[in-house]
Amino acid sequence: MNTSFKTALLTEDTRFYNEIKAPNMQQQEVRLNVYRNNVVVSLIDALCDIFPVTETLVGDVFFRAMARIYLLENQPSSPIISEYGVNFSDFIRTFEPAENLPFLADVAALEHEMLTLTHSEEYKTLDHDAVSTAFSSVEDPSVLLLNVPPTTKILASPFAIGSLYQAHFSDGHQCLNKVDINKSEYLLLIKSHLYAQLHVIQKEEAIFIKNLMQQRSLEDAVPDSDLFDLGKTLAKLIEWKVLTQIK
Amino acid sequence: MSPVLSEQALTQAEDASFSSRFAERFFSRSGISLKPAYYKLILAELPDVGFFEIHAENYLSKGGPARHYLPLIRQHYPMTIHGVGLSIGGEHPIDTQHLDRVARLVDEVEPEVFSEHLAWSSHDNAFLNDLLPVAYDEATLRRVCEHIDQIQARLKRHVLIENPSTYFEFNRSEMSEIAFLTEMSKRTGCGLLLDINNVEVSCFNHGQNPYHYMDAFPVRAVGQMHLAGHTTDSNLVVPLKIDSHDEPVSQDVWSLYQYTLALTGDCPTLIERDGNLPPMSILLEEANMANRIRESIPPLEIRREHVI
Repeated sequence: MNTSFKTALLTEDTRFYNEIKAPNMQQQEVRLNVYRNNVVVSLIDALCDIFPVTETLVGDVFFRAMARIYLLENQPSSPIISEYGVNFSDFIRTFEPAENLPFLADVAALEHEMLTLTHSEEYKTLDHDAVSTAFSSVEDPSVLLLNVPPTTKILASPFAIGSLYQAHFSDGHQCLNKVDINKSEYLLLIKSHLYAQLHVIQKEEAIFIKNLMQQRSLEDAVPDSDLFDLGKTLAKLIEWKVLTQIK
Repeated sequence: MSPVLSEQALTQAEDASFSSRFAERFFSRSGISLKPAYYKLILAELPDVGFFEIHAENYLSKGGPARHYLPLIRQHYPMTIHGVGLSIGGEHPIDTQHLDRVARLVDEVEPEVFSEHLAWSSHDNAFLNDLLPVAYDEATLRRVCEHIDQIQARLKRHVLIENPSTYFEFNRSEMSEIAFLTEMSKRTGCGLLLDINNVEVSCFNHGQNPYHYMDAFPVRAVGQMHLAGHTTDSNLVVPLKIDSHDEPVSQDVWSLYQYTLALTGDCPTLIERDGNLPPMSILLEEANMANRIRESIPPLEIRREHVI
C-alpha cells in the first residue's frame, strides 16, 4: 500500500484516495494534501539550507521551483537529511531554464562539498607556537614534512565560484555581482576546527599543497616558479590553522 | 580494619551517583529540544532545565559542530534521544545500517530514553522526510511489533513509541489508535511517548474528543510526554490542525496536559520546538510552566520501569 501512498504524495495520482476515510473525494484530497505539502516543502526547505548560495544566485522563487522538479525525481536515500542533494548539481547542469548560468551547477557542487566536509571527521591542527617549535627544532627545515587533513581538496574551476561563495558569506550579498565570474580559480577546501574552510589560492600554492599531501618534503614540495612565495604561503597555512603535523 | 576504596571504585561510585542524580533530574524537571542555535548559550549559562532532547539523525556525522557540542552539553545534563528516521511503520525491513548508527549514538550518549514514532518515512530507498500514517490493522500491528522487537534487541533497552498526529484515517483500519498502541505495547514491552499536542491535533482532525481519548489511553505505559505548538489550516472543505512544532504550546494543549497528568501521575515532559525558534529563555519559561503544573501531581512509581 505504501507504494501507492508514496506515488500519491509525489504525483497527482488519485488511486490511493480510496484508502482515505472521508465523505467525498474533495475531503480525501485536502487531507492527503497536508502530507503532500509536508513532504515537498520540507525537502525544498532542506535543499535551501544545503544550497544557500545557489538559491541567492537564482532567487527564491526560481530555486524553489527548480528544487521541486528535482525532488519529485530524487528523494533522499538516507534519513540523514544533510546528506541530501549529492546529485543536485548534475540535475542543474541539464536543467534548461538555468542554462544561461553555466557556473550554477559548479556552485551547487561546491556547496555540497563544503557541507560534507564540515560533517566529516575532525583533525587536531597546530597553533602558531607549535609550528614555530617544530621549525626551530630542526637544523634544516627543508626536510620537514607538513601534513594537512587527508580530507583536504584542491579544485581548479573555470569560473570564479570560490570568490562568489566567499562574497555570499561576507557582509551583505551586494558584492556578489562584483565578482568577475568568468575568471578561473584554484580553490582549497580544508577542515579546521568543526568547519570546512574555503580559500581561493594561486596556481603555485595549489601545486605546493598538492605536493605536501603527497608526502613530499618542504624542499621538494616548492613549485619551480618565481611566482611562488614560500614564506607567504606558510604564513597563510599557519593563520588558517590547517597544519595537522610537522615531522 | 576499615575498608579503603580503591581510586577506581571511588570513580565508579561517583559515576553511579552522577547518573542517579541525572535520572532524578530527568524525572522531576521538564526539558527542551536541543538546537544548534542554543549550544554556546547553554555552555555559557548552564540553564536550570531538566534535560535536553536531540533528534538522533542530526548527530550521526563523524564531525562538525553538532558532534562537537553534544558531549560537552551531555556532561552537564541528562538527555533523551528521539529518532525520526527508523520508519517503524514501514512495509520494508528496518534499515540495519541506519539502526547500527543510531545504536552507536545511544551507546555513547546513554540517554534516559530512546523514542521513535508510530509512523513510516522510508519506502523503496526513498526517505520522504515526514512522519506518514499507518493503517490500524492486524497485518500492520504485526509488522510494527517485529520492527520494535528488532530495535529493542539492537539497542538493548526498552524504547518509547510516540502516538502520531494524523490528517486522515484509513478505511482499512480494524481497530482504534488506542487499541493499536495498547496491543503494540503489550506485545513488545515498549513504553509509550504520549504527545499531548498530537492528541489535540488528531482528535480535532477526526472529530473526536481529546479528553475521551485520554480517558481510554493506556496511561501505565507512558514514559514521557511531549508538548508542542500547532497551526490551523482553515480551508473551507475541512479545517485541519497541523502539527508544526513552530509555535508556543497552545492553551488547549496546556489544559489537556493538566487533565492527562491527573490520569497518568507525574511524568517527564519535553517542550518540543523545531522551527521558528525563539530565544532559548522562551522555551525555558514553557518548561517551567510544565513544572508548575506537575508540582501538584503525585508521582507514579510504575512508570520508571519503562525507562531503563
